[in-house]
Amino acid sequence: MKEKLLSLKEAAKNAIIAAKDEHEIDELRVKYLGKKGELTALLKQMGSLSPEERPVMGQLVNEAKQHIEELITSKATEMKNKATELKLKAETLDITLPAKTQSAGKIHPLNTVLNDMLDIFQSMGFDVLDGPEVETDYYCFECLNVPADHPARDMQDTFYLSKDILLRTQTSAAQARVMQNNKPPIRIVCPGRVFRADEVDATHSPVFHQIEGLVVDKGITMCDLKGVLEQFAREIYGKDTAVKFRPSFFPFTEPSVEVDVTCSECGGKGCRVCKGTGWIEILGAGMVHPNVLRSCGIDPEVYQGFAFGIGLDRITTTRYKISDIRLLFENDKRFLEQF
Amino acid sequence: MKISLNHLKNYVEINVPVEEMCEKMVMAGFEVESIEKQGDNLVNCVVGQIKKITPHENSDHLQICQIDVGKEELVQIVTGAQNIKEGDFVPTALDNSYLPNGAHIVAGKLRGVDSFGMLCSGEELGLTEADYEGASVHGILILKGELETGTDMREILGLDDYIIDFKITANRPDCNCFLGVAKEISVVLGTKFKAPETNYKTVGGNVKDYIDVEVKNYELCPRYIGTVVKNLRIKPSPDWMQKAISASGMRPINNIVDITNFVMLETGQPMHAFNYNELSGKKIVVRNANAGEKITTLDGKDYELTTDMLVIADGEKPSCLAGIMGGKESEIEDDTKDLFLESAKFKRDNIRHTARSLGIRTEASGRFERGVDIMNTEYATNRALSLIYELDAGDIIDGKIDCNNGLPKERILTVTAQSVTDLLGVDIPTEKMVEILNSLELKTTEKDGVLKVNVPSIRDDVEGRADIAEEVMRIYGYDHIVGTPMRGDVRRGTKLDERNKADKLKTLLCGMGMYEIMTYSFISSGAIDTLLLDKNDARRNAIKIINPLGDEYSTLRTQLTTSMLTVLSTNINRKIENGRFYEISKRFIPHSLPVTEQPDELATMSIGIYGKQEDFFTLKGIIEQIMKLFGSHTQYVRSSEPYLHPGRQASCLANNKPVAVFGEVHPAVAASYDIENRVYVAEIDLSELYAVNKRKVTYKPLPKFPAVERDFAMLCDIDLPVGDIEKAITSGAGRLLEKAELFDIYVGSQIPEGKKSVAYSVWLRSNEATLTDEQIDAATQKIISNLEKIGATLRK
Repeated sequence: MKEKLLSLKEAAKNAIIAAKDEHEIDELRVKYLGKKGELTALLKQMGSLSPEERPVMGQLVNEAKQHIEELITSKATEMKNKATELKLKAETLDITLPAKTQSAGKIHPLNTVLNDMLDIFQSMGFDVLDGPEVETDYYCFECLNVPADHPARDMQDTFYLSKDILLRTQTSAAQARVMQNNKPPIRIVCPGRVFRADEVDATHSPVFHQIEGLVVDKGITMCDLKGVLEQFAREIYGKDTAVKFRPSFFPFTEPSVEVDVTCSECGGKGCRVCKGTGWIEILGAGMVHPNVLRSCGIDPEVYQGFAFGIGLDRITTTRYKISDIRLLFENDKRFLEQF
Repeated sequence: MKISLNHLKNYVEINVPVEEMCEKMVMAGFEVESIEKQGDNLVNCVVGQIKKITPHENSDHLQICQIDVGKEELVQIVTGAQNIKEGDFVPTALDNSYLPNGAHIVAGKLRGVDSFGMLCSGEELGLTEADYEGASVHGILILKGELETGTDMREILGLDDYIIDFKITANRPDCNCFLGVAKEISVVLGTKFKAPETNYKTVGGNVKDYIDVEVKNYELCPRYIGTVVKNLRIKPSPDWMQKAISASGMRPINNIVDITNFVMLETGQPMHAFNYNELSGKKIVVRNANAGEKITTLDGKDYELTTDMLVIADGEKPSCLAGIMGGKESEIEDDTKDLFLESAKFKRDNIRHTARSLGIRTEASGRFERGVDIMNTEYATNRALSLIYELDAGDIIDGKIDCNNGLPKERILTVTAQSVTDLLGVDIPTEKMVEILNSLELKTTEKDGVLKVNVPSIRDDVEGRADIAEEVMRIYGYDHIVGTPMRGDVRRGTKLDERNKADKLKTLLCGMGMYEIMTYSFISSGAIDTLLLDKNDARRNAIKIINPLGDEYSTLRTQLTTSMLTVLSTNINRKIENGRFYEISKRFIPHSLPVTEQPDELATMSIGIYGKQEDFFTLKGIIEQIMKLFGSHTQYVRSSEPYLHPGRQASCLANNKPVAVFGEVHPAVAASYDIENRVYVAEIDLSELYAVNKRKVTYKPLPKFPAVERDFAMLCDIDLPVGDIEKAITSGAGRLLEKAELFDIYVGSQIPEGKKSVAYSVWLRSNEATLTDEQIDAATQKIISNLEKIGATLRK
């Protein structure tokens, strides 16, 4: 009986190794391990053995059963893996085929740059406010120390809607409203659209955008102004950016300065972008004129502050090397896609 | 203001290279627009000597010259000029040379003969008789004396000057002149400054015997000084004066006119010269014009005046538009015998107003508008008379008529040195402040930290400590300002709610493949007509710009759709296959027209989409996502915008208020934008959209009990809106409804004519227990009966 068992085991092993597919394996499983299988038949013959032989033989049979089972399982797994492998291989894709996607849209480049700037100013504690685009002569000029027929009005060509109502030429117009409605400390930026009667060409647009900044508190100095602008410049143009003040004139600030930053193109060495100077003018700023504070009901003997006005369009065209400002308002999709 | 560097050296010692001086001036507040080196436009032009002249075979006027230009070989040049002879020294433009008139000279052939350059006339070199004697001769400029051939012509012509264009800011009218700029240069360079002397002798007499001056309006003319010069000897002014005037962009005319212009450029005080013999009644009256009074100005133009305009009249009529331009009749001409000379101060806003209303702008009016110094009028008169004397241009009558209503007293400003440093944040030693202020002719003394500043009338821009701080700082140097980090409350700045919501909206729109656009706030006056709006439509009430850049940009928009259509048209006509665009901007709605107060500025969004995958429902999908973002309950109803397809447009209501109108653009409207495709637009009222935002997110437990799905296929009239079917299902299912989804809609074979088949999947679920068959049947029956009420019968 023992010989029978051994030969059965050997036969099973050979059959399993020779099996060609999962179907054959299933058949072998039935043939050897099934209820009517050969091992079961062998077990049934155990009755004919002596009581001493029975446990020994029983153990041998069980061992043989386990062995065959393992062989079958491992062969089955092997075959399954092989089948999967084949299937996956057949499913190989050309990964260079185009993606299937609803491509995302884009924010307008002016707003992308604006958002960066607002984020920087918010991080320095500036609240972001808005002001009306249609302003009164009072808020756009009078209140900002530019009385009627003042020569400073020549600096700006204004679109008028009536004698006293106009399209604001500067976001500074929002300054006075903020100061009238809020007590110091004031720390705001006011981005927005402004208008000047400039004929349209590659560098001029009758519609453009500014960000006005205003800080009013006790003890605010010109050094604070420089500190804020330095932080701003470093975040926009990189950590090695330097800021330079050049004296200038704006009616609503005194002292007034033009602010230059290290040319981001050449790092200050001088190139075509900065016309060889190493500097790029990015904004105008200054200490709020006492007359402006006074006309907004703030005592210039107690409070002082600074204001600045940044040209968004210029910074955007410089950042992206956009050669013609008109592209910003033309809205060709192939242009908008690039930002 | 353009100034000759050589001329500036008459007033101030300049001991550094021109670039360095300019850099220092920039850092003191005087922007330099340009530094133009004279002769920069004259390149590769040298002295040549004509060695041989031969006639040209194919021409009777051309001659062939062999020119010695200082090199071993002679250069052959063909010329048409006849005024040359062998041995002459002539300006020779070599191959690849540039002339002041912009010409680029290269070698070529003239009637078959090689010519390697050009011989130049005075005119071609940009010269006048004042620059070089004989420059005005027709033909080649024959150079004087024995010259070394090959010498650069710039050297011969003495073109070693620089013309510097300073940009003078509006607060410094005192620097709109040679003396003002020279004074500032002396401060930044720390060198000596010297104003010219004003010595002259009179021939006696008394000016009062010659002229009577009356100022009728001292408000508009606070000071008027008049003098008389007899027996004019009119001739050209000297070279140095012509050069100085030309450098500053004015044209030399004759000695008298040039002196008045030169004195204006030098002192900043405009002068006016009248032909004394033409002054009727020997009288000058400074008065407002009478209504309808007329004047013909120097340039021959006629103007009708209004009573707010100031004129200088003689005994009868206006002889000069005060501060702006003289009259033709009293113009100085070559044969003018006697002169009345004016030096006055006019009120700046009046001059500005008159100049603007008449549309005239002159060197004089520009200076009066910006402001001249009342104390300078006398110095300018003296300077002009001294030049007349020096140039022997006439006989000066003794005395001046000086009309004024009292001259300003000296103005003393007191500020503490501390308040100056407090503003700047920089510790500047008090002595340094005093030194700087004094150098700027702001005479200052200091006692116990208090600065007493004597402000001359010429510096009326200096009003208080901020101005003192600026004067000190611009000379002390802005590089002393060292940035300090932001101080105060430590908190992040806030944004307005609208801005936060717009940011959120833009994130969503980006995700839906939409591009943000930006367009001008103004449109053409006719743009609104393209929308075919009713003539009473409120959107036609748009604000017009009084002084637009042309009709194209004349009208503040009351809607954003026309701008969007323009953008769609641009993209479509550039063959871009598809596009999804939006713009967030403002509409301007006036309260009344013409405007008397600020209009409402309404935050609005427009959307425009096109392309083969787009239709009404993709646009509706976008609208739906937007409404969902703000969590409002929405409803769609048919709308009736004339610019949209009558059957393919809708209004989206949120809480029963219209928030958006959208649909396919009417083909007639599209056609006026050259659009043949179907395009879809929407306009959304953002303030309404933001207002309906009541969405507060609270977690709802996930369902514990299974849902049951039932399908309903029905037949109904083809016109029955699917929305009604959905309503019938929704209300039928009641609280058990989880969702109802349309999954098929069909018209065609096997469906009776005029009918359509509609199929919905409905999911029912309870949060309390698994639904029983009874509950499901009850809901199903209710749905069926609701459907039947609207004429939809279940298909068996």
